Amino acid sequence: MRVISTLPFTLLRMLKSYIFLLLLLVVPMLLLTFFYFILSDAVNESGESYLYETAISQVLVFQLFGGSIVMTFIHYDLFTKHKERMQLLPFHLPMYAASIVACGTLFSIILGVCLMVFSHFVLGVMLGNELWMLVIICLMAILSSLVCLILTFSVKSFKLAERLSEIYGIGFVVLAGLFFPMPQTPFFQFMGSYGNPLALSIMSVKEMNRGNSSEALQYACILLLAIAVLFVVMLLTGRRKWG
Amino acid sequence: MTIASMRGVVKRYGSYVALDCIDFDIYEGEIIGLLGPNGAGKTTLIHALTGLTPVDHGTVSLFGQAKQPFSRQNKERLGLVTQDITIFDELTAKQNLLFFAGVYGLKGKEKQERVKEALDFVGLGDKGDKNPAKFSGGMKRRLNIACALTHRPKLLIMDEPTVGIDPQSRNHILEAVKKLRDNGTTILYTSHYMEEVQAIASRVIIMDQGQMIKEGTVEQLIETIQSEEKVRIDVTEPYLVPVNQLEAIAGVKQVAVAGNQISVISAAGSGNLDRILTIVKERTGVVGIQADKPNLEDVFFTLTGKQLRDRGERE
Repeated sequence: MRVISTLPFTLLRMLKSYIFLLLLLVVPMLLLTFFYFILSDAVNESGESYLYETAISQVLVFQLFGGSIVMTFIHYDLFTKHKERMQLLPFHLPMYAASIVACGTLFSIILGVCLMVFSHFVLGVMLGNELWMLVIICLMAILSSLVCLILTFSVKSFKLAERLSEIYGIGFVVLAGLFFPMPQTPFFQFMGSYGNPLALSIMSVKEMNRGNSSEALQYACILLLAIAVLFVVMLLTGRRKWG
Repeated sequence: MTIASMRGVVKRYGSYVALDCIDFDIYEGEIIGLLGPNGAGKTTLIHALTGLTPVDHGTVSLFGQAKQPFSRQNKERLGLVTQDITIFDELTAKQNLLFFAGVYGLKGKEKQERVKEALDFVGLGDKGDKNPAKFSGGMKRRLNIACALTHRPKLLIMDEPTVGIDPQSRNHILEAVKKLRDNGTTILYTSHYMEEVQAIASRVIIMDQGQMIKEGTVEQLIETIQSEEKVRIDVTEPYLVPVNQLEAIAGVKQVAVAGNQISVISAAGSGNLDRILTIVKERTGVVGIQADKPNLEDVFFTLTGKQLRDRGERE
């Protein structure tokens, strides 16, 4: 298992990828700070602080984009820049790809935890059951990595795959009604709840904080099911890509 | 002892034949220079030899194994210096080497020692903790080479390792290649720079249009064109030179115009200099004349009818 020796270096490379740190950590921190100043005293109709709701959404929204680092590393290491050198190394290439996915997912989780810590200790937002939130962050990070991998494997042009991954992220934010309210049609209602990983994760965290653990678990299970299905799709597209 | 060989290797991309019935052997301890213009098939040959590209026909043998030439065991004995710089910009020079050393199964103290050895070897011993993003092009190239050395490969394949670097780094790399050869590493070296190949290669293969057109030591190759004379004439207005008229002179084999210089290769003893000068002087002013001894570049030009690099590249 020589691939294991590459794990610390892959993680280090990710932690030194300043563009990703800027987009996935600094930007949400700035947004959270901005919302802290404009929403600090506001409460919604059910008496919950808007800031609490916003902090949960922000932490989970950026998990949708976490898979982009996996996508970039897989693309450069296995399909373009480093391809020749990697193919000549005496290790199992799909295992190396798996190690990149593991590191990318961990990287995304670390950023999520950083945002939780920032919200809690700097902005003083009580996020409720933080352990459950961490579980949901993990699920979202895995889901995002899988989606981005499928796009990398199945779309010929990497630029297009990147744009599609952005559409995945922004699309679900829009469908969750975080930018503006969505029409109350069955389709949009489904895509704003059970058909939307972001909405599912937000609902799961909120329900757990309200003490409805069975509902929270139910939403998490749907996310798990989506992960299982996407994992199979990822294996199939990956195999096709490697011939 | 044969380290690697190819027998009847053919590689096609659609109707384009990238490798056309290639046969050759690489023997232990030698430096083979692989020469050819762009599109000659050098990189395809390297890819076929290392298993990066499957061949359509023929056999590739590495370290005596023809059935499974690209086994993990053989990959451990192979090093590739890629044409493009393939180092990790996010890691320091030392971390780059630690990454590759780990993949080759090196551990603990041995790993640290090999990394230090590789860095010292390419003259980056004091730059181990620096980020390659801040390195010059030459230093990046040297680190690129070091990445292929930590596991002490038996066969090192270097695909244009000196492209676009300063003369100091180039000399350093050439000296390092010679040292590697002295330490017992077999090297396949491709380059656009004829003088590099002439300086280090014990054997040269010349490729063009997917075929190996000549093979031998530098001396042997030069001998094949000793029957020729080369005259270089510097003129004031090269565009006025009647190339067709020069080519029509009996005994003249090649005429080439590059910048302000006309190169004429004719059969030895043909006594064409007077005739050539007369024709040239009728049209333009002559600034200088040189009669050269043939070198590898002349061999290449005679065999392929092409210059390996254009004038701009050489400068």
